[in-house]
Amino acid sequence: MPNIRYANMCHWKSIPYRRIENFREFYYEDKTNTAYYSDWDTILKYQAALGFDGIEIAPWDLADILPLFGSPENFTAFAKDRGVSVIGMFHGAHASHDSGHFDEAVRAGREAVDTIVRFGGSYMNTCPTQNHYGCGPLSREEVQQCAKVMNEIGRYATDHGVKIGLHNEFFCAINLPNHRELIESTDPKLVHYCIDTAQISIMGEDLLTFYRDYHDRISTFHLKDTASAKQPDSVRYAQDPEITDDGTRWFWEPGMGELDLKGLYRLLKEHEFKGWMSIEYDGSPDLLASMALTRYYLDTELRPIYD
Amino acid sequence: MNTDRFAISLDLINRHYQEPNRNRFESKYFWEELYPLIRASGFRSIEIPYEPVWQFGGRSGVPMNRYCINTKYASAAGYRAALAERGIEQVTGVTFDPNLFMRNESLDFFFGAGGHFAGEALAHAADLGADYFAISPSPYYGRAAHYHPDLEDKRESFTQRMTDLLAGLAEKAVAAGVVLVLRNEYWSLYRGEAILPLLEALPDSVRLDVDTASLTIAGIDPAAFIEAHQHRIGVVHLTDTAFVDTHETWKTANPEFPEHRATQVFRDPGTGSVDLAGIVSLLDRLGYQGPIVMSARQTRDPFRALLRTRALLDQLPH
Repeated sequence: MPNIRYANMCHWKSIPYRRIENFREFYYEDKTNTAYYSDWDTILKYQAALGFDGIEIAPWDLADILPLFGSPENFTAFAKDRGVSVIGMFHGAHASHDSGHFDEAVRAGREAVDTIVRFGGSYMNTCPTQNHYGCGPLSREEVQQCAKVMNEIGRYATDHGVKIGLHNEFFCAINLPNHRELIESTDPKLVHYCIDTAQISIMGEDLLTFYRDYHDRISTFHLKDTASAKQPDSVRYAQDPEITDDGTRWFWEPGMGELDLKGLYRLLKEHEFKGWMSIEYDGSPDLLASMALTRYYLDTELRPIYD
Repeated sequence: MNTDRFAISLDLINRHYQEPNRNRFESKYFWEELYPLIRASGFRSIEIPYEPVWQFGGRSGVPMNRYCINTKYASAAGYRAALAERGIEQVTGVTFDPNLFMRNESLDFFFGAGGHFAGEALAHAADLGADYFAISPSPYYGRAAHYHPDLEDKRESFTQRMTDLLAGLAEKAVAAGVVLVLRNEYWSLYRGEAILPLLEALPDSVRLDVDTASLTIAGIDPAAFIEAHQHRIGVVHLTDTAFVDTHETWKTANPEFPEHRATQVFRDPGTGSVDLAGIVSLLDRLGYQGPIVMSARQTRDPFRALLRTRALLDQLPH
């Protein structure tokens, strides 16, 4: 068994079909490549073929998955039949910095944990609160409030066999000035950390230093590259910075940007990381191509360092 | 009939199912490149499908709601100016469906949130100078039945609450100088002619939205429907289909994607079986002067659909 297993964070967005039985007929209707990315059967086969044994779903998938499959358990069985496990689900802990929102934030977090349990997953990578624009900068008390919510959700998650991992986006109200303060204000037994390699680098953390400092808190990764590390406040705190007006991409496939991912893998080896590595392809116009490019880079550059 | 005045709906870009991921659709540049292409294909006016979802989560490049427009263009006037610079002279109409808000067992949530955003969308339509605001008075039947298995038992009370909501919107629409029209998609609680009692319960200012493909799928001849209700029509959507609903797909949770057999329910105009040329001739003969909108809402290739649509219109007698 390798130390690292590979998953994909699901960014296909809405997939309308469970399985296209009439694939050739569907193709011939308009002779485009739509048939190749419209059903879960095909997408899970791509994953299995490229050696990604896990999938991390997202809340935006549920509106389609649940009516299509009837239940989380049915989706999990369908994926397992194709060699893919559901490892967890992303969660946004909206307004957790707001004490008036405590009950709602905890309730939503617990419901997400329940959903993950039904999918058979064990990770809930959690954005601690919403964008900096509109609610930042946070006071010390608000950061502590965030930590309180994370601990509370983390306690429930731990009791149900799920690890919550703080997942910080570069544009969150939890940002460079209070990122480490939040981590250190949470209970390490209950709250872990998911390093999104590109997000924290864009925010201004040095990836290798951060991993060295927090390696014992790391539950999993969102592995992706960037060519835009250390963005200024004016970018990170802007209104809706995630999707740029001119199409500039923040995120690239591993090896296509400028991060020292080989250095990271040397550190993973040093600290004997064991667990899931989720690859994330947000920004890609061609997810299948991104998966294949990533598999090539993993096999030729990263796995020879540490597998 | 002068087809130069036909608008095209921005539902041409299906933000949810058209291609893997959708990040390019979320960038402002995509739309600002699109508008001149729309003009180059002979359209001077567009319809906006209002989508509240882009208000949440930092995706305000999608120009489908008031929040996004204010974020990227400061105001509706700023957006209209940006459109005009790119050859789009008018936003003919705004459409709205409440499917986003049918997501749990609470009808109070559905009517509360749906009503709030419908009001926002109507006000946005007025700000954009639109002629009409077209609302779907029902979520997907199948989605509603998923959360409300006793939907048929609730139909009467649901209809009463919807009537009240629409009556309030009708009043606001008159004040804003926008025509409120009711859509009757084939997946609706009020599909086909079931829309008529709802319409009758509303003021005369409220009009019908004729969607040729939806009527066809619901088993209604669109030409006959137009003839019968010509004086109550507020907008015509020229949509095409070759789909025959033999498995009650209209009652499923995602009815534009039939579970038993994958198919493109809404075909690009001119590639389905609806006699769109005949419909245009009929509208001309009846002296219909209202808005006409081309829609390729489920196209697999929006740029091909844009040109296919123009190619179809070019074949019609002018």
